[in-house]
Amino acid sequence: MADKLSIVMYSGTADKFIPLGVLSQAAAAMGTQVEIFVTGFALRGFTEQKQELPFPAEFAALAPALGHGMQQAKVASWDKMLRQAKDLGAKIHACSMMSEVMGLQLGDFNDLVDDMVGAATFLKEAEGGQVLFI
Amino acid sequence: MANETTAGGARTVVDARGSSCPGPITDLALAYRRASKGDVIELWGTDAGMPPDVRAWAEKTRNEVVSIETQPDKIVAVVRILNR
Repeated sequence: MADKLSIVMYSGTADKFIPLGVLSQAAAAMGTQVEIFVTGFALRGFTEQKQELPFPAEFAALAPALGHGMQQAKVASWDKMLRQAKDLGAKIHACSMMSEVMGLQLGDFNDLVDDMVGAATFLKEAEGGQVLFI
Repeated sequence: MANETTAGGARTVVDARGSSCPGPITDLALAYRRASKGDVIELWGTDAGMPPDVRAWAEKTRNEVVSIETQPDKIVAVVRILNR
């Protein structure tokens, strides 16, 4: 199928990774080509060395309830959802410029990340499809 | 998952009960990967979004929704594979 969903994952707070996982997995299940471009603070979620992702301050008080609710509803963790999306063909690219800014090399990322690319590659890849910025 | 062969293709039951969105649709997609044209997939789930999601999935992948039934304990969607 020719249709595409390209997601710019910029936010580095834990809550934003939930829609990233859900939409990537759902789109991949629909047969849509999924391309995720990870940049900015979101890169912290993809390092080999696990880093705790913060909650946005205004929702910090709700974080425990959200975690509990997600467990109750048996919602998969965002990285599990991304793994499932990848099994269905999704690709994850790390932004070369922001990686450099944050002192990260390709080897510092976990196996969710396929490669490191620049903005031009992503824009060309995204052309003609749906684009989301998270 | 249960497989039984009937005239016109295999019928597979996929149990996605207790799995929340996008679990059921993903389980459907995984069964679809293994299916052949003419097969029927019966998806069981409990996620409230499943009925519209199954319709959207079938429209997108050009397969046929035979029925979607909300039972007291589960939702049962029957999908016929036309496009494989």
